[in-house]
Amino acid sequence: MSHTAPTKIRNVVQVRNLAKAYGDNVVLRDVSLSVPEGSVTAMIGPSGAGKSTVLRCMNLLEKPDSGEIEIDGHVINARKKISPKNLAALRRSAGMVFQHFNLFPHMTVLRNISLPQERILGRSRDEANTKTMELLTRMGLGDKADHYPARCSGGQQQRIAIARALALGPRVMLFDEPTSALDPEVGVEVLEVMKELASEGMTMVVVTHEMGFAANVSNELVVMADGCIIESGDPRQIMSDPQHERTRRFLRAVLER
Amino acid sequence: MNALLPDIATILPTLLGGLQISLTLTFFSLLFGLPFGMLFSFGVTADNKIFRYISVFFVEVGRGAPALVLLQLMYYGLPNVQITLTSLVSACLALVWTTAAYTAELIRGGIQSVPHGEIEGSDALGMSVRDRLRFIVIPQGMRIALPSLMGFAVLLFQATSLAYTVAVPELMSQAYSTGSSTFKYLPAFIAAGLLYAAISIPATWLSVLTEKRLSRHL
Ligand SMILES: Nc1ncnc2c1ncn2[C@@H]1O[C@H](COP(=O)(O)OP(=O)(O)OP(=O)(O)O)[C@@H](O)[C@H]1O
Ligand SMILES: [Mg+2]
Repeated sequence: MSHTAPTKIRNVVQVRNLAKAYGDNVVLRDVSLSVPEGSVTAMIGPSGAGKSTVLRCMNLLEKPDSGEIEIDGHVINARKKISPKNLAALRRSAGMVFQHFNLFPHMTVLRNISLPQERILGRSRDEANTKTMELLTRMGLGDKADHYPARCSGGQQQRIAIARALALGPRVMLFDEPTSALDPEVGVEVLEVMKELASEGMTMVVVTHEMGFAANVSNELVVMADGCIIESGDPRQIMSDPQHERTRRFLRAVLER
Repeated sequence: MNALLPDIATILPTLLGGLQISLTLTFFSLLFGLPFGMLFSFGVTADNKIFRYISVFFVEVGRGAPALVLLQLMYYGLPNVQITLTSLVSACLALVWTTAAYTAELIRGGIQSVPHGEIEGSDALGMSVRDRLRFIVIPQGMRIALPSLMGFAVLLFQATSLAYTVAVPELMSQAYSTGSSTFKYLPAFIAAGLLYAAISIPATWLSVLTEKRLSRHL
């Protein structure tokens, strides 16, 4: 995109030269990535490639050893001291959805979604609850507000987790295998919600094994292996004509399953 | 022998005053012990060295030394350094120490069993460390620890009987003095035992019930 005529599209997320090791285990080597506003980036690759680590570094759940992360103008450099204010701003800009939902089991669905709005955005309880009900209704979960998460199905819990993140008005949504813990039929409910979000222009980064989603919804496909991005570009292009042997092997393994 | 039942029946009401003192002692030990227990539960893993050393000292000594030793130390030992406490206050202080030490470990256990995913969930939302403790970690940690805290309260109630060694007129010393003045030791101690059981057994049931109720949403 950068070598064509100047465009108005800006990058919501920029990851520059990210590196991370756990002891001797080098998990990320020099990963750089840009996510344009309103685009969906799907991230695939074999287990242990470092996909989750890249995503978790983006909102500093994991601290990179070196490199820079910029989300919606908030820059964090791994080698410099991170101020709590900057960290909070960065995390507010990025909503995260986990494989296992990570809802708060001791709170009702309504409190799960309203409490963060009150504490982080300073909304009043009424404002927060109104926003929560609006989101729940949109997700088809209006009747679940007073239930506890454990009484909801996995697919419902994941949609609640998406609503909880959306309620804070993030500029980008990060998904780490949001459907991997769900039965395929239930996963579809979640994928539908994500597809709708994408069509509304939400910027998204999605680590996934759902090749259908990657092919049909994402604008950009990133293939990771051994801590590096080995290939990236148009999803259909890569899937039909992978340039890298490692990509070919991975796609073959996924498609034969 | 056949006078045993009537003897128990006559002695039992005279011990109720003692029971009340035992319960009061339990109440104040919990009232002051639990906040310190909560404080030490964070202290033993705190980054701040002074806070950590103080917490570890109180927790280790409180758990390592028998409550009886702490009690004697407060009542008979402290006067050697010009600190004289009434028997009730020294008993209370010793039991507060024991309570703080044991509950610190119970609370820490509860807090550590809050699933890591929920902590990450609150981090990813951008919650402050304080809010995370206040809304996620402490409510759930306490909820997990509550049944064992209730179990501890029962043991503490029974441990108040140690206060008889420093002449606090609680249930045990009342039974003892009734026994020694009438030589009806057997009915006196049976009556005392019945009163301890009358509190302890339902309280234990309550802790089991609480455990069941609290696991509902999990
Ligand atoms: N907390 C940790 N401590 C030590 N090693 C870790 C930790 N988290 C991840 N790793 C290692 O980092 C590497 C990359 O892990 P990561 O979770 O990013 O892979 P992934 O691409 O998401 O794989 P998967 O598809 O299985 O989720 C793995 O070798 C893993 O063992
Ligand atoms: Mg992963």
